[in-house]
Amino acid sequence: MSVASHDILPAKAAIKKSGLPWYIRDLYIYLLTFAGLTVIYVGLRSYQGEFGLLTGLDSSEPEFKTYWMRLLYIELGALALVFPALWGYLWFTRDRNLDAIAPKEEIRRYFTLTMWISIYTFAVYWAGSFFAEQDNSWHQASVRDSPFTASHIIEFYFNFPAYILLGGSAWIYARTRLPLFAKGFSLPLTLAVFGPFMLMIAVGFNEWGHTFWFREEFFGAPMHWSFAIGVWFGLGVSGILLQQVSRLIELLDQIEDAP
Amino acid sequence: MATKALEVPPQPYTGEKARLTRAYDYLILVLALFLFIGIFHLHMMLTVGDWDFWQDWKDRQWWPLVTPLMMITFPAAVQAVLWSNFRLPMGATLCISCLLIGAWIARYFSYHLWNYFPINEVMPATMLPSALVLDAVLMLTNSVTVTSIVGGMAFALLFYPSNWPIFGMFHVPVEYNGAQLTIADLFGFQYIRASMPEYLRIIERGALRTYGQYATPLSAFCSAFLCTLMYPLWWYMGKAFATTKYVKNI
Repeated sequence: MSVASHDILPAKAAIKKSGLPWYIRDLYIYLLTFAGLTVIYVGLRSYQGEFGLLTGLDSSEPEFKTYWMRLLYIELGALALVFPALWGYLWFTRDRNLDAIAPKEEIRRYFTLTMWISIYTFAVYWAGSFFAEQDNSWHQASVRDSPFTASHIIEFYFNFPAYILLGGSAWIYARTRLPLFAKGFSLPLTLAVFGPFMLMIAVGFNEWGHTFWFREEFFGAPMHWSFAIGVWFGLGVSGILLQQVSRLIELLDQIEDAP
Repeated sequence: MATKALEVPPQPYTGEKARLTRAYDYLILVLALFLFIGIFHLHMMLTVGDWDFWQDWKDRQWWPLVTPLMMITFPAAVQAVLWSNFRLPMGATLCISCLLIGAWIARYFSYHLWNYFPINEVMPATMLPSALVLDAVLMLTNSVTVTSIVGGMAFALLFYPSNWPIFGMFHVPVEYNGAQLTIADLFGFQYIRASMPEYLRIIERGALRTYGQYATPLSAFCSAFLCTLMYPLWWYMGKAFATTKYVKNI
């Protein structure tokens, strides 16, 4: 049985109850996601602050396995659950009758896509800015003796998959709910999601390089440039903006203005 | 005389449409803030890296060369989109502001609070004056060529004078165990870092000293020259990434 656009809309009463204009109906979910992610990231940073210097300096110590390898397994377990759950939800609740979508509903979905991309960039901030530079700080104070350090366990094996999860979600949302993105693959959206995804792949190159010498840690070393090139593709977001603005102007011309 | 319909300028939205577009603007602002902090900061730390991290890496040869050269990249790419499509003369200032926010947060929470490096040892350089001039040149000339040459050169040449009032005090000489050092050197020796072998290989090569006080302006002018080339390169990279194409296959 196919699902049409109007089938997946909430009842009008629910919209009125939220008190939000129709185009930002998902605002509360968006803000809650920001809050939830902030709690996770601040929690992980607090954990590092509490146990990093106490138990995270030597990977051969039993405490390291208790405090850090266990955290790694918890992270991987959580990600193994959330990835198929979120992407599966977005796929199975897709709109199967996009040709019948009304202009107002399409506008609302562009707002929601912007929120998805915004959440994605929030995760990119923590992975690309805060925890990335913190990685340098940690490896200046602690010589790495394992690819699973107190810094990497959070940066490489949680933060990188987390932004891939959210970027992929934005991509799937657009692909399954917006007519233009369903008819063809949006090149800038694909670049903006798949380019930073390559940072995860570059971890292999990075760790291979670090096996030759401590290299602790000339951060601008050519070995790190593969990360930089991957992140340039984030500029594709500007192309998504232009695609959205063009379409929103067309859609706004199709609806009546309200006071 | 009849008035042609085309002469009537488009009217701005009012009512709900105006509120809708304003809400969209706010969403984009939040998105852009985190995007540019995340991607520009990572680009900077992986290319300029230690020259911006550490006080004693802020030398006369590489720091004034590498920092503007790598910092003009994203501003050029973002100007290409914001100026060309929206006539917003703020691409460079937006990027550099985001970078500084991200850098300061990381230096304080990651370097200072977690690993106890003094904040004075890890203060980031600023390029806000350079960014303001770059935006102003593009706005006033509306020319990629002029902005590349005049704006690009100004971007690099303003770097050292903008930062010297901040960092000059750490480069005064001190005597330490019979040797002459700077305060910045002293930071480096007091707070040992795992990168010390790289530091000793790269900073203040012997040949630099033969140029005496000319090393800094030479580095700055070299950077200015390279920035005039880097700016258009990244302008067109920004244009390329701002494609609006939909493709059949990926």
